[in-house]
Amino acid sequence: MGRGYIVEDVVEKYLSNLSVPGASCVTGLLIGQSSSQRDFVVLAVRTPQKDTEGQGSPSVSRGAGNSLEYLDVEWVTEHARQVDNEDNATFMKTSGLLVGSHNITQSKHCEQSLVSQSHSVIMYNNVCFLKVSRMLPGGMSVIGVFLVTPPELSKEAQNTLRRLIFAVDKHISKGRLWSLTEEDVTEKVTLHICSKTRKVVCRTYDVRDPKSSAKPADWKYQSGVCTSWPLLTCSVGLNLVFPVLEMHVLPQDMEKCMKEGLQTWAKQIEDGLCLINGDAMPGEVELLGGQKKNAKAVQQTFRAQILIPMAEPQSERRLTATVKVCSGSLTLKGMVQCRAYLHSNKPRAKHATEVIKRDVINTVSSRVEMFLEDLLMEGEDKGSVGVQQVLPRRVFAPVPGMSLCVCDYMFPDECVSDVSDRLKEMLDWETPEDSIDTSQEAVPEAPTIDLKNTVVQKNLKAKSTLDARPKTPSEDPTEAHKSHKTYYAGVAMAAAIALLATGTSLIYLSD
Amino acid sequence: MVVGNIILRLRGSLEFKCQLDSTDVPHVQKVISRTFEALGSQVKAESLVLSLSSSPVFLWPNKGGHATAGEISPNRPCKDLQQLIQTDDQESSRKKSAKKDKKNPTAGIINLTLMTEVTEPGVLSAPTLLRGSKKHHLLQTTLPMDCVVSVLSSESISVVCGTLVGALCSQLGDMEKVALRHMKGTALLIPQPFHFLLPAPVGLVTVVYPAGVPDSQLETRRKELHSLFELPDDRPYLRRANALHFPDEPYKDGYLRNPHVHLNLPALENGKPYLVQGVYSYHHYMQDRVDDNGWGCAYRSLQTICSWFQQQGYVERAVPSHKEIQQALVEVGDKQGSFLGSRQWIGSIEVAAVLDQLLGVTSKIMFVSQGSELASKGRELANHFLSEGTPIMIGGGVLAHTILGVAWSETTGQIRYLILDPHYTGAEDLQVITDKGWCGWKGPEFWDQNAYYNLCLPQRPKTI
Repeated sequence: MGRGYIVEDVVEKYLSNLSVPGASCVTGLLIGQSSSQRDFVVLAVRTPQKDTEGQGSPSVSRGAGNSLEYLDVEWVTEHARQVDNEDNATFMKTSGLLVGSHNITQSKHCEQSLVSQSHSVIMYNNVCFLKVSRMLPGGMSVIGVFLVTPPELSKEAQNTLRRLIFAVDKHISKGRLWSLTEEDVTEKVTLHICSKTRKVVCRTYDVRDPKSSAKPADWKYQSGVCTSWPLLTCSVGLNLVFPVLEMHVLPQDMEKCMKEGLQTWAKQIEDGLCLINGDAMPGEVELLGGQKKNAKAVQQTFRAQILIPMAEPQSERRLTATVKVCSGSLTLKGMVQCRAYLHSNKPRAKHATEVIKRDVINTVSSRVEMFLEDLLMEGEDKGSVGVQQVLPRRVFAPVPGMSLCVCDYMFPDECVSDVSDRLKEMLDWETPEDSIDTSQEAVPEAPTIDLKNTVVQKNLKAKSTLDARPKTPSEDPTEAHKSHKTYYAGVAMAAAIALLATGTSLIYLSD
Repeated sequence: MVVGNIILRLRGSLEFKCQLDSTDVPHVQKVISRTFEALGSQVKAESLVLSLSSSPVFLWPNKGGHATAGEISPNRPCKDLQQLIQTDDQESSRKKSAKKDKKNPTAGIINLTLMTEVTEPGVLSAPTLLRGSKKHHLLQTTLPMDCVVSVLSSESISVVCGTLVGALCSQLGDMEKVALRHMKGTALLIPQPFHFLLPAPVGLVTVVYPAGVPDSQLETRRKELHSLFELPDDRPYLRRANALHFPDEPYKDGYLRNPHVHLNLPALENGKPYLVQGVYSYHHYMQDRVDDNGWGCAYRSLQTICSWFQQQGYVERAVPSHKEIQQALVEVGDKQGSFLGSRQWIGSIEVAAVLDQLLGVTSKIMFVSQGSELASKGRELANHFLSEGTPIMIGGGVLAHTILGVAWSETTGQIRYLILDPHYTGAEDLQVITDKGWCGWKGPEFWDQNAYYNLCLPQRPKTI
């Protein structure tokens, strides 16, 4: 007996409206939620075309007769550096691919192009997959892939789909800070659509088993699949200090230090207790138990609270505090806004706690990853030591026609239009800028003014210019931080005074 | 223990983490103090949560005692919390549990654990990353918080929460003092709290001692405390071994403690009981996988006495094995080398010798030429239990026993002896031991009227 996929009507519309020119193929992702009994697909998103007029990367001459014309190999490899090189090699060996091999003949045959470009296709999809999965709040995930091919390639499509889904799942598991439980569904769906007949073939693979074979699955369209999906929200405060042991060197080892620290924190969250609407429910309790059948489907919102022990008790019988010699430290402070969706098919409290906890862990690790990626790309800024650097903050955008939201992360130097562009590129829909909610996470502008700090008082009189960038910090990072603090305090006060002055003058003017 | 009071015990770990930029003493002390101060703020934060053990109830003490369970509101009396605790199923035929709880002053303890709510809004802005590049020593440990408060059962939950938070803060203060007092360089000894039940009117106190420093090196501190609490200065009250043992924590070594408390006192006309003071373990035949059936009774009585000295804090060494007892006798020259590994009996004299050799304890020896004379030793034995309160080893005929007390009437001369019998070969089953009289009150006819007996009366060393 195969799995049953309940799919939103909009997905059918999207897939049928996909423009698939000529003999080319289109890949894409299927987004939804899997439960033990049913699976739900709410979105389908094609793998984006790389715009050659786009930012930065040069276009590479497209191979003549290459149907996957939109693939830009350099863009792929530049983004593919995220993927372990070793993994590339292993993957290529097992799938019998040779990139750049002379065996590949130039032909309009999509599959052969697929083979020759398969590596790139996989890498490319991995990249997009990673970017898309960062945009999904808890509960929603990439549960499958689709492939649209011309009729002559239908036979080969299954193979490609299989390789794709395994690679994509492998990529997602890397860097994940929480572990799958026995109850997690590891079957992912592959959908093949013939571009001419529009015939749909739906199969699932168990991505935990590399030898698993395709199992047939049902693909059924329905309207209003996710209208009553309950929403869980919470905001989690972080105040984590990770030591940088003396054998580590920053910035190269920054990722390692942060990863280790975050792993410990993620375990605490995973093991923590979750209250839903202030109640410690036993896991088997049905969340939507109160709703009458056939009642009007309404999306309910639940508030989650996460409780953890203040510290883990010492495991060994230590007599003294541990002493570590460190060359520095990394402090992660602030509040993250978390959201997770549950399906409406008898969800239980334990599923709810699972999805919201996973979102908490994901949102923190995603933005740390993005920050580190950005740092690697932009190069090390010597002036960044001792200065509080703002991590990308989370913004939310509604999915058109549904009561769900997706999210994105905005770097401090970005604006709403950047988010809108990314949503268009990655998720293939238009988002009006004013529908993007940037208010959930406040921009950390000025650190709190410490009125007990008399240096602040003195500096208030001294500072008057509004300089965007802070001065180069001195050798002592704590002092630098303080002067940074006082500087901003001065700026804030000056700004406040300026506003007050403007306000006052306006009042006078209006009189 | 005050009647009408409830005891609440709050435990948990607090993370102690600090960066030492230099190792010179004033800087280190300043940083340690600042870290403790920060922990104090953490404990007063709104994100502090107390979890009521074995229940789905959580309390936010710094939000007025707000709780998760709907039926508990902050102005309800704290005894209502007890009803929400899910107890284990009562063992079926245990008559002891119901009636004996009244004798146990620390019954009905409410246990709570420290937690924190990470979703409690505090700092409201999006996360930032700060990179520090100063070389430093990172000191890290967890502090084993353990606070006990005794409050009126009618006191409201919100007030009790305030008391608990106050207890946490004051314990942090005690821990800071201990940490600073015993700090050497960057070695920070972990401060550990111990609870003691001191004689009235003092009651329950908590003292923080540094881990790894033996009791012998903490005498000055104990002297300060003895004078503070007006305790006699010749017997230990505040050694780690004297720490209160909570009834809901089973002893891990498996030995029964004070089985005699479960017995009814004999009713003698104008009679009064004079019992052993403090705590001992019941040692008997066949324990510790040693088959000493038929020859080891005096050894077992000696072990019971040693367990008393250990648990009253006079010695730190563990109860000696048969081998160690024999070794000690050879060392003092009382026995030849061939004695080792043999099944030879020992008597009161040997018991006294071992107590002296291994524990530094002196004993008085009492001799009666006939068992019938024991009936007239009421006053002496009563005085012993009043002043020393140690278990007595009695040997005579072919048997050795332990006397844990006497019930004696000064007017009628009637006497009963509380006997702990080392000849028991069964398991640590309190019901059997008390029902079958392995620990029980015996009359003067218990002794062999014609045999002579030696009694070893161990004396408490004068120390704190």
